[in-house]
Amino acid sequence: MKLRLVLFLLILFCSAAAHAGVEGVYGKGITLTEVTPVSAIYDAPQDYVGKKVLIEGMIIEVCAARGCWVYLSSDRPFEKIRVKVTDGEIVFPIAAQGHLAKVEGVVQEIRRSREQVIAWRKHLAEEKGAPFDPATVTGPEVTYRLRGLGAVID
Amino acid sequence: MNWRHLNRTIHRDLGYLCCGLTLIYVISGVAVNHVDRWNPSYRLTRIESNIGSLTGITQEKLVPEIMQRVGENRQLKNVFSSAPGEMTVFVEGNTIVVNLLSGNTVQERYLPRSFLYEVNFLHLNHPKKLWTWFADLYAIGLGLLAITGLFVLQGRQGIKGRGAVLVAVGLSVPLFFLWLYL
Repeated sequence: MKLRLVLFLLILFCSAAAHAGVEGVYGKGITLTEVTPVSAIYDAPQDYVGKKVLIEGMIIEVCAARGCWVYLSSDRPFEKIRVKVTDGEIVFPIAAQGHLAKVEGVVQEIRRSREQVIAWRKHLAEEKGAPFDPATVTGPEVTYRLRGLGAVID
Repeated sequence: MNWRHLNRTIHRDLGYLCCGLTLIYVISGVAVNHVDRWNPSYRLTRIESNIGSLTGITQEKLVPEIMQRVGENRQLKNVFSSAPGEMTVFVEGNTIVVNLLSGNTVQERYLPRSFLYEVNFLHLNHPKKLWTWFADLYAIGLGLLAITGLFVLQGRQGIKGRGAVLVAVGLSVPLFFLWLYL
């Protein structure tokens, strides 16, 4: 009888969390109301670097290891922006891929030398178990990302 | 009831109450500690294949065709075009990236790890809301468990004897690592 009760509680415990969706508020949530198009950030990045913005789009990729970054689709075709969050503070679940989200954060400029770009892309490829060819990196890069503070996933 | 008896009772009952959650945090703690080596919540599988060219297929039939060719029948979530001639199809538990011209396909399948997904879900405080308060209560319970534990035994085995030495050893371990790494 007691064993049955323990097994029942264990099954209940597992099924309850397994059905929990990814929708919800992450981190500090969002406070801004006006959405800044991602394309506007890329068109005039210096207008936004260091400023807090609210962006929206589809989550198209999630950090496979820690859930510590996501790529959000832009309003412009074939464009995306990386959102980095503090490890552990916000953990995006892999299942969030394909969901629409609003993310609030501060726009950052990241400058990397060729060696840093190679190390960075190698790290990303390792996380996903994907192949990586350093020859695809041709030189230093300047990229823009959002330091994510909060998000709402629909 | 003297204070020692009350202390023992609190320690014993808190021990019973905290046992389940402590084990959950222990298992999840070890799993999450090694996050640089594996994903503690999901089993990930990467599958590369060629499903044949998809040119000439009308837009509305494209996604069903891709799903059929990779043998995917789970719930479609969304579709994204990541580059000209490339399509990403998001399905529950799978992300399919297809080069429409060549048919080269990469699937990244993810499946929640049984039990570990659930314990990490709680440990990493994904539920938020009421769980946050419950986890705070649990933390206070653990603190009380530690303090009452100091006074369970008396004499040479207690906090004035062997207990004091063990407490000092226990405290010195985190201090050593702070000295080493900070």
